[in-house]
Amino acid sequence: MEPTFKTRRQFLKTGVLGGALGWTVPSFLARTFNSLATEAANKTQPSTGKDSPILVVLQLAGGNDGLNTIVPFNNDLYYKARPSIAIPQGKVLKLNDEFGLHPAMSGFKELYDAGQMGIIHGVGYPNPNRSHFRSTEIWQTASDSNKYERHGWLGRYFDNACKGADPTVGINIGKQMPQAFASGKPVGISLENPEKYRISNSGSRGEGEMEGKDSMFEKMNEMDENGDELNSGSSISSLSGETPPESRSLDYLERVALDAQISSELILKISRSSKNEVTYPPSQLANSLKLVARLIGGGISTRVFYVSHGGYDTHTNQALSHERLLKDLAGAVNAFMSEIKLQKNGDRVLLMTFSEFGRRVAQNANKGTDHGAAAPLFLFGNKVKAGINGKFPSLVTKNLHNGDLKFNVDFRSVYAGILEQWLSAKSDPILNGKFEPYQIVG
Amino acid sequence: MPEFSSAKWNDRYAAHLLNRAGFGAIPQEVAAARKAGLEATADRLLSFPLIPVDYKIPEWAKPDPERFKKLREYKNASPEERQAMQKLERQHQRDQLIELRQWWLELMRTSPFPLQEKLALFWHGHFATSIQKVKSAFLMWQQNDIFRKKGAGRWIELLTAVSKDPAMLIWLDQAQSKKDHPNENFAREVMELFTLGEGNYSEKDVTEAARALTGWSLERGTQQFVNRANWHDPNSKTILGETGNWKGEDVLEIILKKPQSNTFICAKLWEFFAGTPPEKETLQNLAHQFSQAGQEFRPLLKAIFRAEEFYADKNLNNQVKSPVQWLVGTVRLLDRELPSSQVSTQMLRTLGQDLFQPPNVKGWDGGLSWINTNHLLNRYNFSAALIFGEKNVMTNKEKRTRPRKVQGPVRVESLFQEEEIKSVDKLLAALDFRFTYGTLKPRQKMTLKEYLAAQKELESEDILNGIRLIMSTPDYQLI
Repeated sequence: MEPTFKTRRQFLKTGVLGGALGWTVPSFLARTFNSLATEAANKTQPSTGKDSPILVVLQLAGGNDGLNTIVPFNNDLYYKARPSIAIPQGKVLKLNDEFGLHPAMSGFKELYDAGQMGIIHGVGYPNPNRSHFRSTEIWQTASDSNKYERHGWLGRYFDNACKGADPTVGINIGKQMPQAFASGKPVGISLENPEKYRISNSGSRGEGEMEGKDSMFEKMNEMDENGDELNSGSSISSLSGETPPESRSLDYLERVALDAQISSELILKISRSSKNEVTYPPSQLANSLKLVARLIGGGISTRVFYVSHGGYDTHTNQALSHERLLKDLAGAVNAFMSEIKLQKNGDRVLLMTFSEFGRRVAQNANKGTDHGAAAPLFLFGNKVKAGINGKFPSLVTKNLHNGDLKFNVDFRSVYAGILEQWLSAKSDPILNGKFEPYQIVG
Repeated sequence: MPEFSSAKWNDRYAAHLLNRAGFGAIPQEVAAARKAGLEATADRLLSFPLIPVDYKIPEWAKPDPERFKKLREYKNASPEERQAMQKLERQHQRDQLIELRQWWLELMRTSPFPLQEKLALFWHGHFATSIQKVKSAFLMWQQNDIFRKKGAGRWIELLTAVSKDPAMLIWLDQAQSKKDHPNENFAREVMELFTLGEGNYSEKDVTEAARALTGWSLERGTQQFVNRANWHDPNSKTILGETGNWKGEDVLEIILKKPQSNTFICAKLWEFFAGTPPEKETLQNLAHQFSQAGQEFRPLLKAIFRAEEFYADKNLNNQVKSPVQWLVGTVRLLDRELPSSQVSTQMLRTLGQDLFQPPNVKGWDGGLSWINTNHLLNRYNFSAALIFGEKNVMTNKEKRTRPRKVQGPVRVESLFQEEEIKSVDKLLAALDFRFTYGTLKPRQKMTLKEYLAAQKELESEDILNGIRLIMSTPDYQLI
């Protein structure tokens, strides 16, 4: 990988910024804008077309109803289980003789026809948990369903395979860092709006600024030279809950402060230097993906982006709400993939969806569906193994587990495939065990 | 166990104790504690009454006789009606949750016995229960009340009360555990996370304890604990080596007879208050004292606060403020009220500590995990909002739709003496003492001095900007 700046100290010493490492002052921005944007572009775009893959993880929060997303339109059991909410055969967007997409998903159909979409049937895990937060945690930490892991699978990837990376190696678009990013080392950042990921200007002088504020923040946040030399490297290797006895918390905080400075500068500049060239549907998800596309287009060296789309917990009258969600999803992903293609980044971006669980096979009394288990998972990109993969779980009652679909593919095999085949990382240490990598790249 | 020498007692150590046992000690409190000495200060901190002084509980904090009726009505309603009713109920619980959070934060801010609330915060993180599953602000309040009233008492009494607490019965599925299918969730966590720690029990102990605990359940109508004899497995069980026809109470007693039950909780409490794990000898000493004193927490806390190691360099200014500590401490140091309940909730959510909604049964990881780049930037920005007034953190929509009294900038006159406001050097010392207990680095002081000296005449605004600079440092995030 090619971190934009190999170490933080090197960053401080680069001539690009010189001594003017500041926060938000417009004149400073104007002065360094061009040079930094060029720098970022030079670092990634030309040299890393094929050896710097990017993973975008899209969480469908709430438990997406897989059966009404990829519809088994020739299966009587499906129609029997869902008398009032099944998608009629005549309406589905047919992918083959057995399966079709929900009619609202023309955006996915287009990608499928172009060979840019892979579907894996029946993804789940043993002893499924039907609690939203527990099952989300299991997916995020890649743990067994009866074990609690503190760190996330992406966090462990950062720890294992991205040593020395700058904090923007993982970017979550949203307020709260997903547990998937939790790691021993403090990498990865969360942001909603690049314009807000920085020290705000608001203060007693209204829109005005505190004079010279930027350089003063810098000085107040600086680490002591000696302390830094002394502790560089090892001291932040084992930071999680407890305070490492040999190190002061202040060392860690000073580093994070510097990371915040570096990343807020970088993100603001890159997002400002790059424009969206494709029209996205008007939605929150589309806005998140728009920002991701802009950051990728601007040449940021991020390896993993994390985006989420909520509202899939369709217990009651699901037809309308589910249709709206899927339309939103398919439209936003389609626009995003088109933009990535336009940027000529199609070969280095892979988008994966996941949901904490699918839903119960039979509809409930409220024309909705309750929490279930296994569900399909989607992959997008030029390089993915396109088409329908994996074995569709049986709908025969005796093959169900408490009314839920049984999984055929452990989600950790999918993770293993992504880690090994896409991110070129060894999966065992990251997944805390051996999982047969599923074929992701085709 | 070596005790801290009273001869060394000074402002810095006094501030250390007050901040660890409470929230954001202000200079007057530090000075008073310094004068009173360690012994008297520790005694005063621990002398809280069973029921807090001026204890005003939320008016809805009582069983809702209508709730059961409502739940039954759901069953008879049409799907559309039910949806509407459930939506209303969710909104209702959300509103109460926000009120509940503010209620607790306000107690932390104003209680004359902050240790009572600090300890309750410890127990909330220890018995981490979330409203996400409990779905009732009243039940969450009721559990919180146990922590406040029994948090310094005997271990067996606290553990029994929490084990029979309705929120806990729901949270770890004990309420549904029957002899035919004992649910092991609570039985496991009570040993793993609450009392013994992993490796100090076997899987067999978990299944046997789960059998003994069957019957402990919840009467949905009254929202109270009930012991259902016909759900209980009366046969013989072997738990941690002891065999008998054990019941729920026996499980807890057998567990607390194990020596690990002393070391486990002593180590966890020590780390919460001191910041780093105890030396082996310190832990052995504490565990011994705890066991000798009938496993009562009040004497244990006193021993912790008097220990030499508690005041060791490694523990001074080396603990990251939790978001709650940061918020409550900051408003105390600024001598202002809490922001509105909506804003407090939003701030704590953004900073990663939703009260009554911990991430999982293990609670918050705490320590350095409180800080990442986004959290740090948010702390810096939120402190500006707290200094310059709430309007700064309200969205335009909020300003339009929530017309209410909005707090303006902090009044510097209430923070500093007149002579301190007039002289840069005196102000600098006062700022450093009030907000960082005299730990600013020389370089930081220089920067601050440069800034203050550059102003022709010191106006309130300049001083507030100075405070903002101090709060926007890594150093301010530590106590």
